[in-house]
Amino acid sequence: MSIDSPNPTVTSERSSRNNPDPSDDVLLERVRDKNQQAMADVFDRYGGLVYSVALRVLKDPGHAEDVMQEIFFQLWSRPDAFVRGRGSLCGWLVVVARNRAIDRFRRRRPTDSPDDVVLPSNTNLASEAERNLLMAKVRDVLKELPSEQQKSLELAYFEGMTHSEIAEQTGDPLGTVKTRIRQALIGLRKALAA
Amino acid sequence: MIGNEHISQEDLVLHTMQALSEEESAAVRTHLAQCAVCRDQVAELWGDGAIVGLSVPQHPVPADARQRLLDRIAADVSATKQEARGQVLPFPRKAWIPWAIAAALAVVAILLGVENNALNKELRQASRQASTLAAESAQARRVIEVLTSRSAQRVLLTAGKVSVEPTGRAIYLADSGSLVFQANNLRLLASDKTYELWVIPVNGKPIPAGLFQPNAAGDASVVLPLLPKGIPAKAFAVTVEKAEGSDTPTAPIIISGATTSSAGE
Repeated sequence: MSIDSPNPTVTSERSSRNNPDPSDDVLLERVRDKNQQAMADVFDRYGGLVYSVALRVLKDPGHAEDVMQEIFFQLWSRPDAFVRGRGSLCGWLVVVARNRAIDRFRRRRPTDSPDDVVLPSNTNLASEAERNLLMAKVRDVLKELPSEQQKSLELAYFEGMTHSEIAEQTGDPLGTVKTRIRQALIGLRKALAA
Repeated sequence: MIGNEHISQEDLVLHTMQALSEEESAAVRTHLAQCAVCRDQVAELWGDGAIVGLSVPQHPVPADARQRLLDRIAADVSATKQEARGQVLPFPRKAWIPWAIAAALAVVAILLGVENNALNKELRQASRQASTLAAESAQARRVIEVLTSRSAQRVLLTAGKVSVEPTGRAIYLADSGSLVFQANNLRLLASDKTYELWVIPVNGKPIPAGLFQPNAAGDASVVLPLLPKGIPAKAFAVTVEKAEGSDTPTAPIIISGATTSSAGE
């Protein structure tokens, strides 16, 4: 599985290194060596995705860019916050972008350090072509979920609402809200594994 | 979900989505610190979260965003090299930004007629803060704009009539929703409490404008919190809230100040 939608505004600026598509591991190794071009390549690869996730949560381009800039500069300053073996860099960036955007939306200090975000090592999101396929498939699967599951997942993941707030808004019991969100993720996982 | 029992998957899902209350999240974090089984589940759920994130419509990054990042990185490299050499170097090309901001702050200080030592301290603090922001040129431009704009509202917040008590200064540009706030003489709070800044709009409910904690000297600042644009303010206020903040201010108001008709100067 994997994602990546190359940003149309930056694709043409990609590095013309000897290897035009080095792996994430190779790029991160260069970033650790303070190679600025490698950092530009990481941004070219994932900037659009990180920005899009933040924009989806914050609905404000300026604030979404702020979140994106914070995350990539943090990756530059502390590349070891992402540790190989903790899953894909892409998945890590998506989770951190979403969490940082929610923190900003709620106007609070970051609740989770990026170091705390550990993904399963079998989550492979590195290949650009596979990423695009997966993105399309995820959208299709989410559309097929029961509407109440979609709604609960949407409110929790993108709107940053707590389960109590969701229960209050939907009028559903707390336990029902919890179950729907879990079932949505289980359904998504099963559908993608099929 | 506490004690020797594993945490339910439903609660772990909510934890990864930051959808639990602060108290519930604290209990989950405590359990995770000592439970590899639940940590593995959380890792799987974060993987699921990454997948959900992939469903968002893709947008191109804003123009110049890439260059802004690269400029910031270059500034970081330059600063690191300068530190390593331990010697004074000629101005790097981007070094005008912090100096421009410092100059802007100085102009504002003069305009406001503030001349006491407290402001000098505040200015040095603001300058240091501005230097940190220097590489983020877009944000820096907003800081300069809000500090120098003739239409910015400048308000001194005080606690009653006692001059040595906590004070705050808010500089607010309603059109862009830009706010810079600095406070002094605030007392330190317990770890489960935080200060919260509020914009009191001309119409509508108070808008939360950021959580903050003072340093040991009682100084604190809030720079460019997330605020809606185009909301005129009639006052600003600071309250003490629970650590995660609040959607509505809780009495008593620690410091507050109203805008004046000449605020735009």
